[in-house]
Amino acid sequence: MIIELGHFAVITALILAMVGIASPIIGLKKRDAVWVEVGKQAVTLNFILISIGMLAMEYSYLMQDYSVRYVYATSNSKLPIFYKVAGLWGGHEGSLLLWSWILSFFCMLAARIHWKTQPAVMPYLIAMQSTVMTGFLLLILFLSNPFERIFPVPPDGRDLNPLLQDPAMVMHPPFLYLGYVGLSIPFSFAMAALFSGRLGEEWIKATQRWTLMAWLCLTIGILMGGYWAYYELGWGGYWGWDPVENAAFMPWLVATAFLHSVMVQESRKMFKVWNLFLIILAFSLSLIGTFLVRSGILSSVHSFAADPGRGLFILGFLSFMLLLSFGTLIFRSAKLKSQIEMDSVISREAIFLFNNLFFLVAMVTVFIGTLYPLLTEALQFKKVSVGPPYYNTVFMPVALGLVFLMGIGPYIPWRKASVQNLKELFFMPGLIALGGLAVFAAVGIRHSYALAGLTVVCFVAAVIFIDFAKIASFWAKREQVSSLQGFLTAYKKNPRRLSGIITHIGVLVMIIGIIFSTIYQTEKVMIMKPGEEVNLGTYRIKLIRLYGAQGVNWEGQEALFNVYQGETLLTQLRPQKRFYTVSQTPTTETAIHQIYTGHIFVTIPEVAPDGSWARVRALHNPLVLWVWYGGAIMGIGVILNIFRKSRTKVSASQPETTAPEVVISLPRPAQEEVLHRSNRWQTFLNTVWPGRKEV
Amino acid sequence: MAETKSSSGGVRGWQIALLIGIFGLIVLFYKGLWGNPSYIPPVLIGTPAPAITAPDLYQPKEVSLSQFRGKVVVLNFWASWCQECKLEHQTLLELKDRFSKNPNFVMLGVNYQDKEDLAQQYLKEHGNNFDHIRDAKGRISIDYGVYGVPETFVIDQNGVIRHKQIGPIIGETYTYLVEQVIEPLLNGTAKAS
Repeated sequence: MIIELGHFAVITALILAMVGIASPIIGLKKRDAVWVEVGKQAVTLNFILISIGMLAMEYSYLMQDYSVRYVYATSNSKLPIFYKVAGLWGGHEGSLLLWSWILSFFCMLAARIHWKTQPAVMPYLIAMQSTVMTGFLLLILFLSNPFERIFPVPPDGRDLNPLLQDPAMVMHPPFLYLGYVGLSIPFSFAMAALFSGRLGEEWIKATQRWTLMAWLCLTIGILMGGYWAYYELGWGGYWGWDPVENAAFMPWLVATAFLHSVMVQESRKMFKVWNLFLIILAFSLSLIGTFLVRSGILSSVHSFAADPGRGLFILGFLSFMLLLSFGTLIFRSAKLKSQIEMDSVISREAIFLFNNLFFLVAMVTVFIGTLYPLLTEALQFKKVSVGPPYYNTVFMPVALGLVFLMGIGPYIPWRKASVQNLKELFFMPGLIALGGLAVFAAVGIRHSYALAGLTVVCFVAAVIFIDFAKIASFWAKREQVSSLQGFLTAYKKNPRRLSGIITHIGVLVMIIGIIFSTIYQTEKVMIMKPGEEVNLGTYRIKLIRLYGAQGVNWEGQEALFNVYQGETLLTQLRPQKRFYTVSQTPTTETAIHQIYTGHIFVTIPEVAPDGSWARVRALHNPLVLWVWYGGAIMGIGVILNIFRKSRTKVSASQPETTAPEVVISLPRPAQEEVLHRSNRWQTFLNTVWPGRKEV
Repeated sequence: MAETKSSSGGVRGWQIALLIGIFGLIVLFYKGLWGNPSYIPPVLIGTPAPAITAPDLYQPKEVSLSQFRGKVVVLNFWASWCQECKLEHQTLLELKDRFSKNPNFVMLGVNYQDKEDLAQQYLKEHGNNFDHIRDAKGRISIDYGVYGVPETFVIDQNGVIRHKQIGPIIGETYTYLVEQVIEPLLNGTAKAS
């Protein structure tokens, strides 16, 4: 009964989503703001309705109602409650429901937050968001309905995929979706800017925090996925260039480019069309990613069963969105002219341009790699699998270039840098980097990428910390305080810049982690019998014994290893080979011992049935934790950036926000709130709609 | 300072390129929907085998395919991490034994994206009676369009690929390979493809 209620709520939501498309457009045509208000209410109601749908599904999970096909497919009575709740996004249908729930939440939130400050954007925002919403709800209701029942009712569920029974994996999809869907808000603002012709900086300023939030969630989601792959999949790495990982990585790359290039528009009024292009691309890549994952068009470890009908629908919807957004960009931008040209190649804007190009090259690299199987098939090439070697060869130089630019971009002056500037800024760091190179070579680092990477990291770190010292002592002198307080003052003066730099420091830490944990990884794979031992760098691992083990919903074998350094026993490790009884799936459970910030990592992918031997995979991953520490520092930087106080500068957007207020002071005979609002709207729309001029 | 460009107003090159790109992508996705992700075009059969020069797995020497010209070569791609390779390993040993008297028969293993010590250990564990070369960087596999291991190629006396087997050689596949492919080639009774 409850599930039918949820189903009905979502059906109603579909109708309301269509209302949400139509009514703001009618409002624009008729210049009647009541219609826009209707759109806003529809969007709010939509959030409530889809929440009911979500709750109904969760209720069925908790009540163990296996007459619901989707619950049956992704849950089991033996499952811990945490995973019962998370079972909702353990499959295709529920993932889509979660996607649209987040979309409805963001849409409602955006409509409420920006209702007063960005009235001109609202009709477009509501219509755009509702279009995406309609697409997803149609897909949910007609092609992948989680509310469907089965008969006869099975006694118990088929269980959640054991690989997904992991805390990191439970939170990984929601964060990714928050990121994907979060990008839809700046995307809608950009579309509004294109439609209304108000292509100034307002849409960028208004969506700054949305973009940062989406970027943060995407980053967290990607890192969680990496963490999960690292210790749940048990192949010892955190990134495998899997199509689904790439699907999340591509929008991330473009969103990162966007976050940087908007600064150029804010400061120099350049890159207007470029920024629109980037945000449209970023959101389109989120949709393409969803298409790639959900249509089963590419085979990967994540793919769900292929269904051409479903794929066809998603493709149709995707094509519609791509043509609508890029089409609008193409036709509207024909009227735009780039107003300012670059003064010098040695300037901050030029560095930003390189930054953008590098990010796009990186994205195209990943894009081609991901779609290569499709390309070969369509063009009848020889079938070649594109694996990590391809990505590492192409991606590494680009990444190095980006890190290098990170040391230059934030410090080089706008417009044109003089030789004197460059010398002051980069001479010392250059020397330090050369010194670093000599030290690294002397320590015995010979791998060319490791040397180049560490030298660049050294250079950028030197630039950053010399700059920190400079600003700290400047403010300390000026305010007569200690240099630490001086630094804090500097931070308060320009929180946006310095929180950005913190994120950059996080990137450096992560790069160090990546370099060491990949290039200096020690790996041993062999058959071991109890009593045998193997050397792993300076460590020694001894298999003590193999024995049976059991959990609530699995049974399997466990191995006991002693880890020695020299003759001292460091720790004991107990990796497992599990077999989940309900879903009949084997998994390997990793055992990890942390040494400083590195890991000793042991798995047993194969155990003899009689327990006489085990295939052992042992790794030493030095500094691997730096990857996640770096991620955490990046996150802190972005969070500081999101919650910083906006500088109360008299901005260009001032006149727009005051415009409606003027209307309020006009005589208003109508007492009703809605009418009052619509009056305000009316006047405003009259000024906005016929205008459609460039600001 | 900054100059203002005269507005062209028209559609520029990048806009057309973008539009074409989008349409291309949609067509690609559409084609992909109906395709089978594991389809492999049989382009190599009947064509000259790509040249190979690669280090031997055990000895510090280079082995090249051209030195076997005039012989029938069975080229088997494998890796120690590959589960299916274990299935066919005993049959491979049997295959080699069966033709070991024939001087015109050569069997060559290509160790694909593997580590030297792991590969050697694998052979020690499972037994070995033929030569192996290393394809550490996957170049040979790319030339031969190897999609996954195991894959086996049969190359005739003229250096032409005559047969390609995807997946393990066991049971009927083995019988077919021996009776319908290798024996006719060795006896010179094979039909030209």
